Amino acid sequence: MSADRITLTVPARGEYAKAVRMTASGLVARMNMTYDELDDVRIAAEEAFVYACDHSPESGEVRLEFLVAEDSIEMKVNLSDGLRVTDEEAERRAAYATFLLQSVSDRFEMSSDESGPYLRVVKSVERDRDDALQ
Amino acid sequence: MPSSRGPKKQSRKLSWDKKYTKELFRRYRLEGDEAARDELITMYLNLVKYLASRFRNRGEPIDDLVQVGTIGLIKAIDRFDIDRQVEFTTYATPTIVGELKRYFRDKGWAIKVPRRLQELSFKVNQAMDALTQRLQRSPTIEEIAEYLEVTTDDVLEAMETSEAYNFVSLEGDRGGDGSDSFSILEYIGQDDQLMAIVDDRATLSAALKQLSPQEQRVLYLRFFEGLTQTEIARQLDISQMQVSRLLRKTLKVLRESIVREH
Repeated sequence: MSADRITLTVPARGEYAKAVRMTASGLVARMNMTYDELDDVRIAAEEAFVYACDHSPESGEVRLEFLVAEDSIEMKVNLSDGLRVTDEEAERRAAYATFLLQSVSDRFEMSSDESGPYLRVVKSVERDRDDALQ
Repeated sequence: MPSSRGPKKQSRKLSWDKKYTKELFRRYRLEGDEAARDELITMYLNLVKYLASRFRNRGEPIDDLVQVGTIGLIKAIDRFDIDRQVEFTTYATPTIVGELKRYFRDKGWAIKVPRRLQELSFKVNQAMDALTQRLQRSPTIEEIAEYLEVTTDDVLEAMETSEAYNFVSLEGDRGGDGSDSFSILEYIGQDDQLMAIVDDRATLSAALKQLSPQEQRVLYLRFFEGLTQTEIARQLDISQMQVSRLLRKTLKVLRESIVREH
């Protein structure tokens, strides 16, 4: 199955979270998602971006890659090596962020490839919708 | 993991948390130790604060969000199955997030939002409720659009407007303990409907018969005894959020059956 690839590079600053979130919700607009699923996509996009900002140098950029398939969206966000702030509080926040990402996505992964460490979340449209009582 | 420095310290800390969490759950569940439950709540308040902060740009005071999130946390603590091989945080996070999402869904809108969007957002919320009830699941964006006879883009735009949720502190003007005010939506809408109900007692009494004893009781306590939602929650041993939802639901049932009658 072919997926469309959309990449977005934004300054690693929180004020761009809204643009990232709106991009994500715009990309899934035709996917026939439920209200709750779409809200999850928005939260995931924003959270992944903010997480990446926290893991980027102050003047850095965050590169986001969206893979949009017929019934799923994958967001891959590059991470710099290491937290911007490394106190215990920041680490705890990072852990919380991963809990949140897990809870709003169908798949969540932190790994690394040739271009460095990354974070990936996948959200799909529920298939057997009529059996899936919320 | 992105960093080889941070995560090590973090995982040591977190694994200590995990052990201690287990111990607290054991004391609470098996020995009925309420202090252990309180400690669990305190221990995970930081998680609640974090999750609540992710919703702060939707325009609600952070304190209110932390309160709502804490209700979710308490639910998670009381429902968590200690025998299942699931981390408490894995279980608690979606419960807390769910509570926060529901809170926003139940909210009204600020006047600052352009009127068209404000109205549409309001309608999207209504459509959400109606369709959720009809379909027994969250409706798709398309279904909402079809229901409202607008485009999916319109629905998405309305959802984006959630940035502009109202900043008015509802609790401020009402006094009390702050947790039991109506949302603007309920406050404005339902007084009128109640007036209409009072106009026609015969219809009302027929309509009331459709409600369950608990729903009738909540209505009675709220509008005849004049209790706050928190007081009702305490009397019926349910959460204030549940009272709020029951009230909205029952008033809606009454409203609909009265509209049918006329």
